[in-house]
Amino acid sequence: MKAVSPKLILFALGTVCFALATLLQPRAAQWGGRAQSDNLVKVFLGEGRRLFANHFYTQADVVLHSGYYPSIFDQARRNMKSSALSGDSDADHDAHESPGETQASKENDKHDHESEHEKKMAFLQEPKDWIERFGRKFLITEHTHLSQDKESEILPWLRVSAELDPQRVETYTVAAYWLKRNGKLTEAEQFLREGLRNNPDSYEILFDLGRLYSENKHEIDRARNLWTLALARWNSREAGKTEQDLSAMEGIAVHLATLEADAGNHDRAISLFKLAMKASPHPEELQARIDELRKHTSPQP
Amino acid sequence: MNSVFAIAGLVVKELQRRKDFYVLFVLTALLTVLLGSVSFFNAENIARYLKDICLLLIWVSSLVIAVTTTARQLPAERENRTIFPLLAKPVTRGQVIAGKFLGCWLACGIALLVFYLFFTVISASREHVWHLVPTLKAVWMHWMLLGVLVAMVLFGSVVFTAPSSNTTICFIVIVGILGIGRHLHRVALDQPEPVSTMLSVIYFLIPHVEWFYLPDFLVNDQNIAPWTDCLMASLYGVAYMAAFLIAAWMRFRRQMLSV
Amino acid sequence: MENVVQLKNLRVEYRGRGSQPAKLAVNNLSLAVHAGEVFGFLGPNGAGKTTTMNVLLGFVNATGGEARLFGVNVRDPIARQRIGYLPELTYYYKFLTAEEILRFYAKIFGLTQSESNKRIEALLKLVELTEAAKRPIKSYSKGMQQRVGLAQALINNPDLLILDEPTSGLDPLGRMKVRQLIQRLKNEGKTILFSSHELGEVETVCDRVAIVDKGELKVEGRVTDLVAQYQCDLEKIFLNVVGYQPESRS
Repeated sequence: MKAVSPKLILFALGTVCFALATLLQPRAAQWGGRAQSDNLVKVFLGEGRRLFANHFYTQADVVLHSGYYPSIFDQARRNMKSSALSGDSDADHDAHESPGETQASKENDKHDHESEHEKKMAFLQEPKDWIERFGRKFLITEHTHLSQDKESEILPWLRVSAELDPQRVETYTVAAYWLKRNGKLTEAEQFLREGLRNNPDSYEILFDLGRLYSENKHEIDRARNLWTLALARWNSREAGKTEQDLSAMEGIAVHLATLEADAGNHDRAISLFKLAMKASPHPEELQARIDELRKHTSPQP
Repeated sequence: MNSVFAIAGLVVKELQRRKDFYVLFVLTALLTVLLGSVSFFNAENIARYLKDICLLLIWVSSLVIAVTTTARQLPAERENRTIFPLLAKPVTRGQVIAGKFLGCWLACGIALLVFYLFFTVISASREHVWHLVPTLKAVWMHWMLLGVLVAMVLFGSVVFTAPSSNTTICFIVIVGILGIGRHLHRVALDQPEPVSTMLSVIYFLIPHVEWFYLPDFLVNDQNIAPWTDCLMASLYGVAYMAAFLIAAWMRFRRQMLSV
Repeated sequence: MENVVQLKNLRVEYRGRGSQPAKLAVNNLSLAVHAGEVFGFLGPNGAGKTTTMNVLLGFVNATGGEARLFGVNVRDPIARQRIGYLPELTYYYKFLTAEEILRFYAKIFGLTQSESNKRIEALLKLVELTEAAKRPIKSYSKGMQQRVGLAQALINNPDLLILDEPTSGLDPLGRMKVRQLIQRLKNEGKTILFSSHELGEVETVCDRVAIVDKGELKVEGRVTDLVAQYQCDLEKIFLNVVGYQPESRS
């Protein structure tokens, strides 16, 4: 048999590869959307990036606590010990600020939150042996938070986390909170808007964006529109769920109600307060505000 | 001692001539500088993120250098048959083990100095402060950890025939200890017997190298334990180094080397 | 005459792995190499000559009997202070130059800087590697590597040289150079123990030979005496001793 030239084989293989590529490319584009993604990270990591996103999100919290942070073992032990406390480390940010709370209850609960946070972070138990006792000398054992001028240190991790998992809503809200604290309102707004583009149904981001306009930029009309939209989104997303995110709804409703009350739309405010009462842990507080509004609306004898 | 130092010098020269160290250093520097150039929300002087990444890269690089350099020492001597002219000189097998250990440990130390110098410069460029003492402590402790690791890998290289299996096992062991070493005894409490006893025994047997892992302190500007504690921990590390080296020597001296 | 190498009833047994039986590599071997002579250690593959050399160099421990170098038990590292060893087919540290390799071995022997400088220069000249001295070993040919091996074996100016197949894998010119070198070292009064399959070469350079087979010493004596006794050359003596029967022509 006459030997075939290697060059000819190479050329034939090249032709086959090219033909297959043209044939398979349109199909490959439909395989999970990975290949056609415009995000390089998504192309490389696929859905696995969400795992990293979670890690970086937690890393931001670790930096906030200056390295004092429970390991997965500490967290598991804490969860086992106290089912009453949330074992999710991510929830720690809520201890710093829960967007769904009223201003009044926030003031009242601030101390409770801090003590609860302290309790949650007291994960180190008494050393059981000399190895653990001596090992503590090489472990960060003091619970501290970053000073105000260093708070921006957590931002890169949140940015990276959002980059890896754009569907993780709390990354945007938490980052916006810290950006606002550091006076970076434009960046907070941009980041929240980016979050909204990636999560158009997110009532959490709409709510936070509304707060930014209301509290920081004093653009009441934009805030009203955003919170109204947030409430509508909440209704469409949470309706029919057995476990609804009531605290978020309460936050939106209370803020919107307060805004309406300030604008003189008392009836609308009362109906919103009533809506919030269904979810509030302090309904009496809201009832008092409704009563107050009613005094203003009811005709004088 | 001449032989020990001569063999150690040879190992250092090998690291100097091979490309591994340079590749890892350039990669570390490149990635750090690249990530350092990214702006996050126009925030200025963000240092911790950069320090964290730089230290992570340094740790990974140092482990790779330590494990791969050490794991190939004795197998390469056998494979290339250079062990024969070496042992035909007035050199004992114990001296070969000691020389190889010293060389690998010194080589790791030199590599660490270069890496941490880069870290210090990067860190100071952001923070405008020189954290020299904490960095020195961290380098010292890091070096001690690498000492334990080098001794462990050297022991592995006389036990396992293939360097690749030795490398893999040592990586798993060291990363395992760094990750769960300090939790083992508490995990043991939740396990049924005999797993509980086994985990407790492992806990007391393994070298607790997690003590030497201090990048969190550097990243978060926390005070590292005083020098006395660092030296106590170093003594603990030296005891494990000695244990691994003696075990390696006991195994190596009985091995028949056939030309 | 001083015995540089002394073997008395040497016995080496390799333990069998798993179900394999133990293998007797050397059995009751006694011989002596005198100072200043070139001693050829011959035998077919698997005869036990490499094992015997391994015992002398401390690579393998004897199961029984005794092995001494310059009257010192081979288990004592000091016994190797006055020997030089050239192993077969060794790939020296590729990242070093010939000069650096020699400096490394000189350090092991504790030579001073000036001593080692002189010695390295002389050895590089002797093995004709002066010009290539600063080139990394990885760029050397096989013959050049073998010459580096010879140089390292001579770094301590040894009284005894143990050469394992010194001409193996070399071209005719390389072999001739090694033979000349052995002759030159012999003239300098060195004792040389070497194993080889090149019987013609052995006949040319050796004063005495020993032929071992199946771990046992079969023949030992001066080359001239053996040739006279058997009335044939060394190759035929070797074949006769190891029991080689040429096929009869039909």
